[in-house]
Amino acid sequence: DSPVQYERVGADVTMKCGSMDWDAAVTWTANGTDIDESRLNGSYLILKNVDLTQSGQYSCYEGSSWHLKYQTSLRVGTPPREPVLMCRSNNYPKGFYCSWHLPTPTYIPNTFNISVIHGTKEMVCEKDAVPKNRCHIRYLQLFSTVKYKVTLTVTNALGKNFTTLTFDEFAIVKPDPPESVVAKPVPNNPRRLEVSWQNPSSWPDPESFPLKFFLRYRPLILDQWQHVELSDGTSHTITDAYAGKEYIIQVAAKDNDIGTWSDWSVAVHATPWTEEPKHLTTEAQITETTSASTSSFMAPPTTKICDKGAMVGSGAMAVCWTAGLVVAAYSVLFI
Amino acid sequence: MAGADSPSAALRRRDLCARGIRLAGKMRSDVVDLLDAYVERQGLDASASVAAVEGVPPAAVERWDEQTGTQRLLENLAAYRAFRALLAQMLEEQREQLGEADAALGRALAAVLLQVSAFAYHLEELLRLESRGPPSEEGDGPPPQPQGVFEQKLRGLGVLRELAQWAVRSARDLRQLAKPGPGSAPSPTESP
Repeated sequence: DSPVQYERVGADVTMKCGSMDWDAAVTWTANGTDIDESRLNGSYLILKNVDLTQSGQYSCYEGSSWHLKYQTSLRVGTPPREPVLMCRSNNYPKGFYCSWHLPTPTYIPNTFNISVIHGTKEMVCEKDAVPKNRCHIRYLQLFSTVKYKVTLTVTNALGKNFTTLTFDEFAIVKPDPPESVVAKPVPNNPRRLEVSWQNPSSWPDPESFPLKFFLRYRPLILDQWQHVELSDGTSHTITDAYAGKEYIIQVAAKDNDIGTWSDWSVAVHATPWTEEPKHLTTEAQITETTSASTSSFMAPPTTKICDKGAMVGSGAMAVCWTAGLVVAAYSVLFI
Repeated sequence: MAGADSPSAALRRRDLCARGIRLAGKMRSDVVDLLDAYVERQGLDASASVAAVEGVPPAAVERWDEQTGTQRLLENLAAYRAFRALLAQMLEEQREQLGEADAALGRALAAVLLQVSAFAYHLEELLRLESRGPPSEEGDGPPPQPQGVFEQKLRGLGVLRELAQWAVRSARDLRQLAKPGPGSAPSPTESP
């Protein structure tokens, strides 16, 4: 394996062909492709103002024998910028986790080191296997007024940077959103919707550390949300829904005493119960008993001229009494 | 007197716990408001770290979930008795320092002192139900008074911060106590 050489974007890089003299005849390749002689200063390879596309395997061969004299893997990148760090307790009172990322990539490998200090005590933040940029800490003490100080340092071959977060035990408590939110219409109640949900499964002891909830709902056709705060229970009946309108509903959770609200739960949709229209039921029955056709079209009954009981004659010539009288009257006029 | 685990004692315990939880919630809310006012009136920096002050019971506890019901009650009672004495001293200091210029702060301090006393009473009642009874207060002298106005103000900040934490802890402790099962009531071998 060839050694790795890290260089900053924009740097000027000079590569020597191992122990070869400056005036030796050599050939340089980049990822197996010959490099033009104009890039050479004697046997040195000069790369000015390097960019990310110039990362790769560089090799130097002696002119006549084509013996490999030098090889290096060039990695062009940047030193790390100040990392972004977040700490949160979604499983209070068990512990909290911290997660981090870089605001811009460095394009070269980075290592992260995190330290957590509580008063004078250094605590161990155990790294999670997945995701890699996260670690968790178990609380050793509860109800402490002493702040936690978390420092994250990121280092790579081109530099280092760090950030620090200081916080109270209570301030970072933020549960995960409620789970299994279900909204159902209430039979025979056109303005009600029954909503139920469960505590987030990550919250370890809802009995001793109860959550309160915030419900928001609106019909899809409007932008304005209605809000309800609920101090206990995991269900609520909406009683002022607009009849027949589809609603969107979400729930959030918060520890009863400390911390901040969770993100909103996954949205659920529901429409209040509506009564079946009666005339549609009657026409459906008529269509079934009088017609063998699969056509759904039927002349509306209000357009009929006379009842079947007043028909005279048969088949195509069948006419009703009323129509017959009208025809007779016109006939007399034109005689 | 009913046994500690009789139905009437269990009901009384549940009632005392429920009322105590409500009182702790109100107390916390009032202490947080008082803390803001205190910092402002006394010209302090809200973000200042105050080292552990002598005589102020820290709310911080290790292995909180492993405590028995009796331990919770005894620790809470010791704390609120201490806060009662500390707040009484703070009230006197506040009257001497600011006097009539800040009657509102004095009234807020007095209101919290009343709630702390009421909460201590709740805890004493709960301990009586445990057939243990509250420990005597004889021999509990007044807390040491800080020398100097600035030290008094810093102690006041420490007192109110710890009291706010205690109010949260106490609500949790009472919820643990109200749960059926071990840790919320004395074991059968302890009851008379």
